[in-house]
Amino acid sequence: MSQTTAAAAPSPVVPDHPPTAAAAAREIAAGRLSPVDLVEACLRRIEAVDGTIHSFVYVDAERALAAARHAEAEIAAGRSRGPLHGIPFAAKDNYDAAGLPTCGGSRLMAGTVADRDAILVAAMKNAGAILLGKLSTWEYGTGNGGEYFDLPIPTTRNPWDTQRFAGGSSTGAGAAVAAGTTVIALGSDTTGSVRLPASACGVVGLRPTHGLLDKAGMIANCYSMDVPGPLAWTVEDAALVLRALAGPSATVAPAPTRPASLSGLRIGVILDPGPGMAGPDAALVTAFTEGLTVLEELGAELFEISLPVPAAECFLAASVIGSSESAAIHEAELRERPQDMGFALRDKLMRGAMTRASDYLAAQRVRRMVADALDRTIRTYDAVVTFGAFHVAPRLGVEPEMTAFTADTMLTPFSLSGHPSLVQCNGFTGSGLPLHWQIVGRRFAEANILKIAAAYEAATTWRLRRPTL
Amino acid sequence: MTDTTPWTIDEIAAYAARYGLTRLEPAHLERMREIADKVALASAAIPRMPRKSDEPAPVFRVPLT
Amino acid sequence: MKAMPKLAPAAPELVHLTITEASRLIAARRLSPVELVEAFLARIAATEDRLHAYITVLGDEALAAARQAEADIAAGRYKGPLHGIPFAVKDNYHVVGVRTTGASRLMLDYVADETATAIERLTAAGAILLGKLNTWEYGTGTGEIHDDLPFPLARNPWNTDRFTGGSSTGAGVAVAAGSAMFALGSDTGGSVRLPAAAAGVQGMKATYGVVSRAGILPNCWSLDVAGPLTWTCEDNALVLRTIAGHDPRDPGSADRLVPDYLQGIGAGIAGMVIGVIRDLGPDAPSMQPDTRANLEAMEAVLEDLGARLVEISLPAPLSGYRQIVGAINWGESYSIHERDFLERADLMGKALRDKMTAGFTMRAVDYIAAQRRRRELAQSTDAVLSACDAVLAPCTFLTAPTFDDQETLTKFTFGAATSIFNATGHPALSICNGFDADGMPTSAQIVGRWFDEATVYRVARAYEAATPWRAERPVL
Repeated sequence: MSQTTAAAAPSPVVPDHPPTAAAAAREIAAGRLSPVDLVEACLRRIEAVDGTIHSFVYVDAERALAAARHAEAEIAAGRSRGPLHGIPFAAKDNYDAAGLPTCGGSRLMAGTVADRDAILVAAMKNAGAILLGKLSTWEYGTGNGGEYFDLPIPTTRNPWDTQRFAGGSSTGAGAAVAAGTTVIALGSDTTGSVRLPASACGVVGLRPTHGLLDKAGMIANCYSMDVPGPLAWTVEDAALVLRALAGPSATVAPAPTRPASLSGLRIGVILDPGPGMAGPDAALVTAFTEGLTVLEELGAELFEISLPVPAAECFLAASVIGSSESAAIHEAELRERPQDMGFALRDKLMRGAMTRASDYLAAQRVRRMVADALDRTIRTYDAVVTFGAFHVAPRLGVEPEMTAFTADTMLTPFSLSGHPSLVQCNGFTGSGLPLHWQIVGRRFAEANILKIAAAYEAATTWRLRRPTL
Repeated sequence: MTDTTPWTIDEIAAYAARYGLTRLEPAHLERMREIADKVALASAAIPRMPRKSDEPAPVFRVPLT
Repeated sequence: MKAMPKLAPAAPELVHLTITEASRLIAARRLSPVELVEAFLARIAATEDRLHAYITVLGDEALAAARQAEADIAAGRYKGPLHGIPFAVKDNYHVVGVRTTGASRLMLDYVADETATAIERLTAAGAILLGKLNTWEYGTGTGEIHDDLPFPLARNPWNTDRFTGGSSTGAGVAVAAGSAMFALGSDTGGSVRLPAAAAGVQGMKATYGVVSRAGILPNCWSLDVAGPLTWTCEDNALVLRTIAGHDPRDPGSADRLVPDYLQGIGAGIAGMVIGVIRDLGPDAPSMQPDTRANLEAMEAVLEDLGARLVEISLPAPLSGYRQIVGAINWGESYSIHERDFLERADLMGKALRDKMTAGFTMRAVDYIAAQRRRRELAQSTDAVLSACDAVLAPCTFLTAPTFDDQETLTKFTFGAATSIFNATGHPALSICNGFDADGMPTSAQIVGRWFDEATVYRVARAYEAATPWRAERPVL
């Protein structure tokens, strides 16, 4: 019985890739798929490709299979916990998971084993999802700069082109979802660390409203900007996860199923990052423009608006805030074990250690101005569509490309302002690298951006393509 | 507003030692000198808010969440 | 420990009425706001050469407002208990078209283009602004007094050789001396409660976020709390009720309903659990014997009124809180006044310049570390405080000293137990609890749970009603 809603099309079946969470949930509910099969499929996929892409730093096959058998039994006994019951997920290695190491991609935490789950890992498990293991991350979630090949874990590779960067700092999260080594990934985003991997790997990455999700049990990177968020292959999957993470008390709308129309929605469009920052690649501009046409055809009304504060100024403020708070968080380690750090983290912490209080406060004051100005702009619309990163995934080790990818973005304005934002694939380059855009909503109105993203996804064919590994 | 003439390596060594960064290797200190110049420029580039009542973003609130 | 205080005349003069008494007379049309404001202006004229409580007196404006109030009331448009009541504000509150100096040479010509929300709410309730009160420069209080500001030092009405408490130096003086019926001050580490303590009046620092800071020259965003100084607790509750409540102009403003603090204020404290903080750690100043005796006597009064007293101890010594408040204040004050410091530091008094210099050299990691420690202290302190209905704590460890003793002056300000509750955000009222052998008022703090000002007032009012201290006014 797959005639649920008129628009519900069966998910594409891609050889070797696990199905989406929503598709798997339908199959599990119909008794045609077992959580054990699903977990085994992911484990096989890990076995087959993770030696190449290195999305996982730790795979807990034994406990995952045990949990899958338990889920299978619960579901068979009629005790289904909902759509995530039996769905495999994995967490960036800055989330604690009971009994597993938490290393944050750092030598400084070698040997650390968590004794309890981070709140959000626990929330996923409560919803019945099955933890496969931990995903690669740049050290302590350090997100800007390049790849220096100096961390204790292998460098994650982009499944669309293994010579390219998978986006960071949630490096394993985007790669794993795109490569199908997991169905769902949990990442975290300070100045783009969910959205950059999503953009580089062509998946959906959601940074929810600042404050919506509980960060307890995660390694802090920057108190005032850290936001945890899911990465998934489809918008519907991201929405299912958001509901599970936000908990029953939060008002998060149900997962959108392929809305056919966006009529009546007013969407602002921001094209220009303002002075001081290079604009987007031509391929991104083309895909963006075509995407706008799709939104218009779906019935949305589009309005060109401008960013109230240049993106370069936002990036500067975010850098000062990020490095200062990181330096405060990891101060003792910078004093005692700087030689055990990778170049990127040590660079950031030294920068933060030298920043004066007045400069940090000046940046936080700029942030309030940016947040207020952006809120006034965004409040007038149902959502805003803009660019995410201004480049496609760069070549690993090619320093100017790497730095440009992480620094030239439209991501930091919304890190500063705390508005929910989502990155999704909106096409491919001629050489098959994913393109993307960013949809931003009013605070706590994730429902609007999920609806728009779901409608766009249903009207386009980008989800039919998977990386070949 | 800020003196952005380059830091000297001696100033950096003194600054680092003053704030307890005593285990940095010479190469780290040299890197710190480069960073310090960038920090000085970045700090000077942060716009100062026009009014004294323009507050930093995270304000203290109770009850604590 | 009560020496014979100087006794005030038996029949209270107009300027020594409480707000509650005056408003009853005004409502009954037995007292005209014009008569009342004239009495206060006359009192100001008679005492200012000795007290220096005011920086700016708005005599004509106040009289015009009084005549308007009189006409409104005569026409049946009575606005409520603050209608026609004269008050004054620390000179860091802005009033459109009026000079705000912050007692600084940097602002002698500054004319404000906005009005503080607290003042707007009071004038909307019919209260009449008499003028702007003396303060330490920009609200800065290191404790030392250098007498290097552009205005003469305010002086304590109980003894003009004595200090007034700061930084709202004029606010306690004006209320005690009867040159304002109530005053508004602002409190970063004790700047409402210390002047109240020095002058024997009641000063409230409400929960952080209850009173709007909009339109007040900031000293430290994350610690500043605006608050009233009054002769009685009931008056204080009345003023706070009027100025409290959410204000979108203040990003720190709490968005919650304000209870009527006067409701149940007289219900007594029988059965309440009142925590008592006696020990503030090894590095707290030694307490002057009369101050200690009056605190102990106060405990006995509260017990006689039916409260159960339980000794509690804070999770950190006083110095632990003071350190945090100091560091946060350096960082934020510097950020606020950076341009002034870089361009015109020579115009600053020594106390402000010293604080700016500290902020200049401070690193971001140290400021963030202070805010992190503050969060932890606020939570662990709340765990202790919230187990009680209210808490009795020391305020100053000694009565207001003379101006010539720098060390004792610093101990009075910097050693006070007030900054604890700026760090944690809890409401704290400083209340007069007697006099020392020299006739100088002593004080204590009554502290409540977050947003529970009502219980603080209820305890304070019960104590006030059971003791004779409100019958005595300074004689000038």
